Amino acid sequence: MSLLVAERIGVSFGGVRAVQDLSFAVEAGEVFSIVGPNGAGKTTIFNLISRFYDVDGGRLLFDGADITRLPRHGVAERGIARTFQNTELFERETVLNNLLIGCHVYRRTGLVQDLLFLPAVRRQELAFRRTAEDVIDLLDLQHYRDQVIANLPYGIRKMVEVARALCLKPRLLLLDEPSSGLNPEETEDLAFWIEDINEELGITVIMVEHDMNLVARASDRVMALADGALLTIGAPEEVRRHPDVLRAYLGD
Amino acid sequence: MRFIRKTRYEQDLALFRHGGQRFWYGLLLLVLLAAPLLLDRFYLGELALVFIYAIAGVGLMLLVGYTGLVSLGHAAFLAIGAYAQAYLLVRGWPFPAALAAATLLTAAVGGLVALPAVRMTGIYLAVATLAFAVIVEHLIMNWTSVTGGFRGMAVPAATWLGMDFTGPTAFYLLCLGVLVLVLWLALNLLRSPSGRAMLAVRDSEISAESMGIHIARTKALAFALSAGFTGLAGGLFAHKIGYLAPDAFTFLISIQLLLMVVVGGLGSLHGAVFGAIFIGLLPQGLAVLRDTLPPAVAQLPGLEPGIFGLILILFLIYEPLGIYGRWIKVRAWLDAFPLYRRATHKRQKQYLRTERLQ
Repeated sequence: MSLLVAERIGVSFGGVRAVQDLSFAVEAGEVFSIVGPNGAGKTTIFNLISRFYDVDGGRLLFDGADITRLPRHGVAERGIARTFQNTELFERETVLNNLLIGCHVYRRTGLVQDLLFLPAVRRQELAFRRTAEDVIDLLDLQHYRDQVIANLPYGIRKMVEVARALCLKPRLLLLDEPSSGLNPEETEDLAFWIEDINEELGITVIMVEHDMNLVARASDRVMALADGALLTIGAPEEVRRHPDVLRAYLGD
Repeated sequence: MRFIRKTRYEQDLALFRHGGQRFWYGLLLLVLLAAPLLLDRFYLGELALVFIYAIAGVGLMLLVGYTGLVSLGHAAFLAIGAYAQAYLLVRGWPFPAALAAATLLTAAVGGLVALPAVRMTGIYLAVATLAFAVIVEHLIMNWTSVTGGFRGMAVPAATWLGMDFTGPTAFYLLCLGVLVLVLWLALNLLRSPSGRAMLAVRDSEISAESMGIHIARTKALAFALSAGFTGLAGGLFAHKIGYLAPDAFTFLISIQLLLMVVVGGLGSLHGAVFGAIFIGLLPQGLAVLRDTLPPAVAQLPGLEPGIFGLILILFLIYEPLGIYGRWIKVRAWLDAFPLYRRATHKRQKQYLRTERLQ
């Protein structure tokens, strides 16, 4: 069964139909890329999945359950984590604190327990810390653990955002332009990490990406969009040569 | 310079980062405990007032500094705490029960106010809380059967089990004890998920939501906690001033509380305490200053608020992180001496900013 299914979803902002009548399915365990020219509706799809926008029509199914009307904070609890195009970190906090906030869905203590810092809270903190440290090791962020986000360079922030999403131990990870603002070397590393995340941690990845080399290297399947509508879905090479895709990017 | 070798995760959960901190804070507490032996009752009273301000400051800091919600109505919570305390004592409640009930009642009111208030942010929220404070002020003036209206009401003595907390030393120690308790609670909060959720809401609501944090609930909790602490300060404040009247809880008090956390340094508990010291002792400092100034200047009307405002403006321009920010820089200078580089704390402009959803 597919992990994420979009059934004829659509959303309009006034007269602009950002996404129209779009259906696709993402299989568990794959890396699924979404490509398309600016304004094609790629990020809008992410915002529909994470419930920042309401769909005008259609349904989104995650693991067989309808998530179209979930409250926004409920999306993470289902096991969907995401990153943002221009990074949305907790700027005034350290990397470690950002990752610990990523563990929030696993919190089982209440306000009163927290205020008194009862033993249960301490145990939970240690468990969160171990989760965070595993992710820090995976993504090589040891140097930056105690640094405040506002002081970090952009490339590191991007990785911290991925790390924070991994702390949720998600089943589905949405990466919104993970390579934008990274230099070629960092992009190279990113490709390896996406592979690791996908293969070792078994996390299904959907990414919006402009770097075609990265897309070709990392993804199993690619969906091409233009003006909110589907052009084609297929293996990276097929999509790259598809006449509609060439027309969307290069014109007639 | 101090380097801390960390070998266990528990070290990051400890209240004190290293032995040096434990020593200095311990020493500070000892000095404060010994203060009644050294100071006369006037200064003890002033210090108790500083502690009360600090308790309210911690409450407001949780809201403004840690959750990023500005309130211009905290005088109302101070008033609710104070009147509840006086009312319950008149009704014959034992002193600790009255104080606890006043705290919980104020927290509950804070939670109720939060229901509509959490839908707003920034300036709109500030105006809404201001409106709330005005409503409470009018309630106090007109609900004569409970508050005594304009005549006000006397606060009964704080006695319990034969102990009298009204005397200068006992009251001083009571306020100190409550402040230490409140600081401990706040520190616990900040090293646990509830507090981190607040930080997350402050820095980015959209990513807090995508981390599974319930924004409205977090904001409401922050409001309730903040109001509760301020109400607790109000309960003590009632005993400090002895007689409650509506003019003790005007809009100016709300402003003063907000200034306290801003001047102290937003986003740090140190800031709340520094701000309280500043607000608490400034009037005395100005009174001393007034004696040394030429009479023509000293008698100027509005000198006090004027100087107050001037200091605030200077802080906002030159040290937006407040007294605590300055303190960090002095510490860094001492740590690095003689190698301190002038650019260490140079303020940078951030050009990177996400276009926000919502």
